[in-house]
Order: sequence, then C-alpha cells, then structure tokens
Amino acid sequence: MFNEIISPDLSDLPPETRKFHAAVREYARDEVAPKALELDLQEAEDFDWEIVQKGHDIGLTRAVIPKEYGGLGVGVLGVAVAMEELAAACPAVALIFGATMLGQTPILLSGDPRLQARFLPIFGGDQVALACNAVAEHEAGTDLVIPQNAVHARIVTTARRDGDEYVINGQKRFCTNGKVADFASIYANMEGYEGATGLTGFIVPLDAEGVTRGIVADKMGYRACLGSELHFDNVRIPVENMIGGEAEGVAISTAQGNMARSTVAAISTGIARNALEHAVEYCGQRVQGGKLLHEHQFTAGKLATMTANVDAARLLYRRAADLVDNQLPAPEYEPAVAKLFADRVAIETAGMAVSLMGANGFVREYGAEKILRDSYGTRIFEGTPEALSLAVTDCLYREEDDL
Amino acid sequence: MPAFPNAETAAEVFGELFTILAADEEFTAKLRENDLTARLVHTKPDCTIFLSADKVIVGPEAPEDAAITIKMSCDTAHQLWLGKLMMPAAVATGKVRIRGKVAKVLELVPILRPAFDRYPELAAARGIGA
Ligand SMILES: Cc1cc2nc3c(=O)[nH]c(=O)nc-3n(C[C@H](O)[C@H](O)[C@H](O)COP(=O)(O)OP(=O)(O)OC[C@H]3O[C@@H](n4cnc5c(N)ncnc54)[C@H](O)[C@@H]3O)c2cc1C
Repeated sequence: MFNEIISPDLSDLPPETRKFHAAVREYARDEVAPKALELDLQEAEDFDWEIVQKGHDIGLTRAVIPKEYGGLGVGVLGVAVAMEELAAACPAVALIFGATMLGQTPILLSGDPRLQARFLPIFGGDQVALACNAVAEHEAGTDLVIPQNAVHARIVTTARRDGDEYVINGQKRFCTNGKVADFASIYANMEGYEGATGLTGFIVPLDAEGVTRGIVADKMGYRACLGSELHFDNVRIPVENMIGGEAEGVAISTAQGNMARSTVAAISTGIARNALEHAVEYCGQRVQGGKLLHEHQFTAGKLATMTANVDAARLLYRRAADLVDNQLPAPEYEPAVAKLFADRVAIETAGMAVSLMGANGFVREYGAEKILRDSYGTRIFEGTPEALSLAVTDCLYREEDDL
Repeated sequence: MPAFPNAETAAEVFGELFTILAADEEFTAKLRENDLTARLVHTKPDCTIFLSADKVIVGPEAPEDAAITIKMSCDTAHQLWLGKLMMPAAVATGKVRIRGKVAKVLELVPILRPAFDRYPELAAARGIGA
C-alpha cells in the first residue's frame, strides 16, 4: 500500500538521487514485494539470481561506486533511502546489495587506482556481480566489532607476509553473500599480534586457491540472502590486495562500520514502515465492536506511536547518512544512535503490527510474522545494541583531540 | 621530533608540492569538471594552502571558503606523502580529517600520484628526512 504520510519525503534530495530512488521503489514494489513470502519459505541455500540481476540492472550493485568506474555515485544518503525502500519490501534483498557495498567500501577508501581498476569495473557490466564483507568468526564476533575488545579476541583468522604475498588461514562465518560473491573484503590478524590487535584488511577473490565456501546458516529471518562460512586454507594473495597498512584493520573496520550504519538503520526503518503499512491497512478494514479497528482509541494510540517512531527513525538515519557523505572519517555518534533507535523501532513496530492483526498477524500469508522475524536480524549485524551503546557512551565521554 | 622545523619550511615544501599537482592536467581537469576547491590546513607548524584549478595560495591569504577542507598535522602529511602512512588508515584513525563531499574526495585520491612521486625528493632537498 502507499501512504503519503508513511512514505519518505525526498523533495530535498538531488534529482539524480530521486531518480535512483524512484527506480528502486518500482523494483521493490513490482519485483521484490510480490516474491517476498516465497523467498522467505525457500531452503537456506536457495538464491534467486533473477531478482538480484534485476536489482543490478537498476544500479543497486554499483550505487556507491564513482561514475568513472561505471557506478552511480549516489553517496551514502542515496543508498540509505534505497535501502529503506527495499527493506519495506524484503530486508534480505536489501542486504544482498548492502553487503555488496560493504565489500566495495575498503576498495573505495584505499584510494588505490590499481585496486579500484581491478575490482570495481565488474559491477558495471551487464552480468550481476556481488561482493561480501567477512569479519565474524566462530570464536570472535563482537570482539571484532568493539575496538577495545580486540585484545581479547580468540582464534582469529591469521595473515602472514611471505615475499610479495600474504598467506591467509582461518574461517569466517555469517558472511552475507559469501556463497555467491566474486570477492570478499576480509579482516585477518597479522601473526605475532595479540588477539585481534593486528587486524588487517584484505581483498580476497573467492576463486583463489585455498578458498572454500562453507555451509549456509539456516536463519530465522533474512532468508533470501545467504549467510555462509568462508574457509581460507593457505590462501595466497598479492600484497597490493592489503588495505591501508598492516595492523590498521581495527580502525578501518570501525570506519567502514560507521559509514555503513546509517544504511542499516535505513533497513530497520524500512522494516518498521512495512509493519506500519500492514497495520494501517488492516486496521482500516477490520471491524470489531461495530467500528473499524483504528477507531478504537487503544489501536489509534498504537498506530500513532508506530508512525512517530518510523518518522523519527528516518530522520535519524538521514541525518547520519548526510554527515557520512560530508566528512571523513565518518562520524561515530550519529550513525550509532540512528541504528540503535531504528533497530528497536523495527522490532517494536513489527511486534505491534502482529498484535494489531490478531491471529492473522500470526499467520504466514498475511506477512506480518515475517516482518517480525526479519526485524530481529538487523539489530545483530553492524553493531548489536550493546556494541552501539558502548560506542554512543564512548562519544559522550570522549574529549575531542586537536590535530 | 617534528619533521618540519618551522612554518616557512612547511610552506615551501607543501606549496611546491601543490604547485606541481596544480600543473598536472588530469588533476586540474578533475577540479574544474567538479568545480572543486580545497583548503589544506596543516598544523604543528601551521601552514594553510588553498587549491583550485587555476591557483595555489599558500599562507594566511588562503581563502576560508573551499568545497573541501583537509586537516592534518605536518608530521602526518610527511608520512602520508612519503607513502609510509596509507590513506585509509590515516582517515580511519582521524589523523586526516576531511570536510566536504566524500564522493568527490574519493575520486581525487587516486589521481594524487604526481604528488606522491615527487614529495620524497622535494622534502629531502629541504633537509626533511624520511
Ligand atoms: C542477518 C545477518 C547478517 C550478517 N552478515 C554478516 C556479514 O556479512 N559479515 C560478517 O562478518 N558478519 C555478519 N553477520 C554476523 C554478525 O556480524 C555477528 O553475529 C555479530 O557481530 C555478533 O557476533 P556473535 O554472533 O558472535 O555474537 P557475540 O559476539 O558472541 O555476542 C553475543 C551477545 O553478547 C553481547 N556482547 C558481546 N560482547 C559484549 C561486550 N563487550 N559488552 C556487552 N555485550 C557484549 C553481544 O552484544 C550479543 O548480544 C551477520 C549476522 C546476521 C544475523
């Protein structure tokens, strides 16, 4: 359904961004939404290349890439408004493209024309290409997200320099697109460093010798995207695939996260908006006690709260994305606050929608229960509420150092 | 010990560096195409440079208004241009702070090559060691 109040107002955005957004909206409405329930019921390993190809055709795999490499260059705000639109149809499809952009970010940040020329043009071709970002491991999850925890990380993927190459060994898990991507941006700990204090970023082509794509997680939600293991067994990559210097990975991964969080907050906002749209439609048709549900004051109160929260979540992610587009390093506070808030709003709004729809909210074909399951996924990646809270509080007590 | 003994030396070295860059056609074409101006604020010692497709202004006359402002210490700039500090790490750790359209900055970085190529020799000529 389309509701003027619930939908974002994009009148202040540049024409190019609005054009991109309109194309994404059409794709989300006509291609993704009608298939969302079917994609949700598929086996963990199934992947709908056809729908992803159509997303590629409108530029979703190259939205942040500069125009000279065949990209759209719409910036983080352009990506964020697109993510909201996609997530309102199916967040897992949004994440297929979001994870690809996350994998591309270190290459963009590298400023290295050779690396960019090798890895970015593949997204400008007719055939869809995907990337992924590999951080999480069996023994180290949040320890690789909270910088202060790095020293405590255990059994982290290792990297060792050998002449003109690095040799990588270890296993990553939950890598969105790991099963289907052309390359991964990965983080490995340089041998000799404690915990993950020697974390270093690398770009690893996933057809390199020694790379195996492992099992796909059978997830509670986000089923249209594949979160898989990646195994690295003496994988040799050239030194120029290293991003930003040895042992600089914690800072680079944090910067990458700060750049991405507003777009993840946008995914949560899209999930919340979808839940709200379901609730508004249902409560505008269902009659109990002789009147439409939305005419009962308890229901009206819930709908008003849900609407205010979606609006507020959108304002927060847009503020954050706009800042990210205009400063380097990306700010830490605004994206963290936006994601912390939007993730909670997604879960609460989805819960309210399920509740407002009675037993129908609990039934698959009405779609609300899927929204609820998906809403729990977004708060895990790119910073759990605990990791985000620590980041926000850290900002409250940090003294600005002068250069 | 700081790499640069005083503001005059910093102004000479960085002024010359950006004059070399401003003579590079690919670089200036990019600036012109995007109507870009940059203000480089070096600290410790202080040295400000304004850069546009047509001119390089070094020192207090450098205009305040620019599309991009890049702030870093002279020591960081020295490490960066020598290639000892890589851009993603410099930015991620906040040693280099940039205000302005990030997309434009990311497009500029790959065409800074002439500056990287010439800096070591420029710095060495003024006695600024590696
Ligand atoms: C849908 C989805 C997509 C994902 N995509 C990717 C991907 O593309 N690439 C990738 O690398 N990973 C991905 N992940 C994995 C995700 O990044 C990790 O699950 C996340 O970092 C948390 O790690 P963990 O699961 O090991 O939990 P743990 O680190 O074991 O944490 C468990 C709980 O303890 C809390 N906790 C941990 N440490 C602290 C602390 N110091 N203080 C307070 N609380 C703490 C956490 O907040 C969490 O609530 C994805 C996950 C999901 C669900």
